[in-house]
Amino acid sequence: MKFYLALWFAKLMGIAINLVSKDRGTNLPGEKALTIDPNFVKHFKNIDYSRVIFITGTNGKSSTTNLITHILKQNGKKIVSNLEGANLLGGIATILAKEASLSGKIKADYYVFETDERYLPLIYAQLPAENMLITNLQKDQVQRNGDPDFIIRKLKEVVNPKMTLILNNEEPRSRFFEEIARRSIYYGVSRHDESFTKGADYPTQACPKCHHDMSFDYYNVDSIGAFHCDFCGFASKKTPDYPITDLNFSEQTFKLKDVNFHMPYDLPFMFYNYAGSLAVCEEICGIAPAAAAKAFENFKNIGGRFEVLTYKNKTIKYMRIKQENPDTLQSALNIMASDQSKKMVALGLYVVNDFVPHYINTFYAFDCDFKPVVDSNVERYLCFSEHVSYDTANRLIYDGVAKEAITIMDSDDINEIFAEIDKAETDNIYLITWISTFEKMKKFIEGGQG
Amino acid sequence: MEQTIKVGWLFNNMFNLHGDRGNLLAIRAEGERRGYRVEVEPINLDTASFDPMNFDFLFCPPGEIEHFEVVAAYLEPHRKELMDYIETRPMLVTGTTVALFGETIARDDQSTIRGLGIIEVETRENHAVYGDDLYYSCQYNGKEMEIIGSQIQMIDLEIKEESPFGRLKYGYGNNGKTKVEGIISGKGIFTNTLGPVLVCNPWLTEEIINLIEANKHWPVWEEPRDNTLELESLKTKIAHINKKETRLKNISER
Repeated sequence: MKFYLALWFAKLMGIAINLVSKDRGTNLPGEKALTIDPNFVKHFKNIDYSRVIFITGTNGKSSTTNLITHILKQNGKKIVSNLEGANLLGGIATILAKEASLSGKIKADYYVFETDERYLPLIYAQLPAENMLITNLQKDQVQRNGDPDFIIRKLKEVVNPKMTLILNNEEPRSRFFEEIARRSIYYGVSRHDESFTKGADYPTQACPKCHHDMSFDYYNVDSIGAFHCDFCGFASKKTPDYPITDLNFSEQTFKLKDVNFHMPYDLPFMFYNYAGSLAVCEEICGIAPAAAAKAFENFKNIGGRFEVLTYKNKTIKYMRIKQENPDTLQSALNIMASDQSKKMVALGLYVVNDFVPHYINTFYAFDCDFKPVVDSNVERYLCFSEHVSYDTANRLIYDGVAKEAITIMDSDDINEIFAEIDKAETDNIYLITWISTFEKMKKFIEGGQG
Repeated sequence: MEQTIKVGWLFNNMFNLHGDRGNLLAIRAEGERRGYRVEVEPINLDTASFDPMNFDFLFCPPGEIEHFEVVAAYLEPHRKELMDYIETRPMLVTGTTVALFGETIARDDQSTIRGLGIIEVETRENHAVYGDDLYYSCQYNGKEMEIIGSQIQMIDLEIKEESPFGRLKYGYGNNGKTKVEGIISGKGIFTNTLGPVLVCNPWLTEEIINLIEANKHWPVWEEPRDNTLELESLKTKIAHINKKETRLKNISER
């Protein structure tokens, strides 16, 4: 009876919230339902766990979930998914409550859920998915997660011999889980024009099998690429099950299993999301690459990390990074560096303010190679954001930027930021900052200031 | 002949969590500013012969606890040499790895790992992670200084018979209950301060190089570094600490 009360309450609450705003209510109804019935998610009927797919990992969860859902829907499948990125138990409870009948029955072909890696054991305890894609396991949100092994231990609580895993072939920590699962499917990306290497003084990582040092032949995304351990032989497969090949940036195309695909986004981290999605669609849902290809023609990613604004006669290219996450910062730097035209670089790393205590952490910037940006025709640098701007400037100085080439602004004042952008001779502005400052900048422009 | 500073970077690939290579950049930059050649040599499980006394400075960054047993086994034959080393020469050990140099590490899953026992410290892995700013005063190579940085605490430290490195002005420090931060043993610094601590606090870097110069009987460099940028950074970070919300027990009440 508790389940029905919780379900009806969540449904009513969802409807009420939806009347106020369609963008809200992705978590709250489920959270409230879980307070009424702590096993709320477990009590839904008709869910075939062999048709439940978890998408977890550090980076790329949302985009991969979005793309899988899009491909499956385009192929006529009924999908239940938490597309709004509400990836904790409350978010999953909310979407299940919304999709269920008043008696708690759900009809769907597949359930595709983005799941926060830290809360995976809690989610799995109520929804024992038999399929899981791990995007990658990287350094991320250290104030919560500490180190990658902290997350690996969470995943070890969940991965079991009954599971099918879809694994990133070129990411050693994810690959390590092949030892536990019943079946592992590997996806990967071949070397392409934007693959890169880093200097010998950039550390790699220890082999998850034998603790000895790993080597990377190249990176497709920071910390992801063809790897090998000379000591125990653990290495990325030369030919994974789902390899993306023939990446053509000028024609925006790639191939997978001899099928030609349109590339909706030409950002290197997206290629792994494409490969992983295609692996899930064929292996778990029976949608072959040829049938999936059509869906790439009209795929729009929700909450992407790249946005372009026009301000006066200037183009501001905004790249959203995840704080405390060197891999997303490195990806953003690589995009900047690939543009050899004159540019201004505005860096607004910021105080980490996810929860109390807020704290200052820019140290992940030392994992990233700024040299390619420094060598890419930068007219001037702006380091802004209160309390961290000096550290950001110092990072640039340690990669050879003259102090005089940097404007340091210990502030997040939008007017001051735009005043500096106004001073730039170039119309090509690259911006990295947190979403809140970016949204304010966007409003500033939309308010006619541009 | 060019004068050379030799730096040993312990387990650089295995212990690589918080942009720790910044510390090597800082040592290299300060050494080169003084006209020295700075050689950095990684030490890892495949290093056939490791003799600490071949180095002028050793740096051991923070790492994941799951690697500690193999590293402890590798370093065990060098335990006495490392103890002798820190009597006179500078070593910096940061974050979780401090526990590796201590006695027993009690893990959250109730298992234990035997540390090297180079410093008399008991350590316990925490169930949850605690991350915050860290601000303290300390003395190194005879110079009083303030250190600013960040801390991601996964292991609490309990000092038995050692001297603390810093006196907390703000932060969690060794375990959130005392007024102290880290350990100093001889010239070895064992601190919870993470990331590029030597970049953010060049006054400590200068003292490490001063000590190397003294150990090598080179004249101590007299032209001070221009630390304006880092002092501005320190000032704004102190302002951030002074106004921020915290759930830590006030230092004076500990």
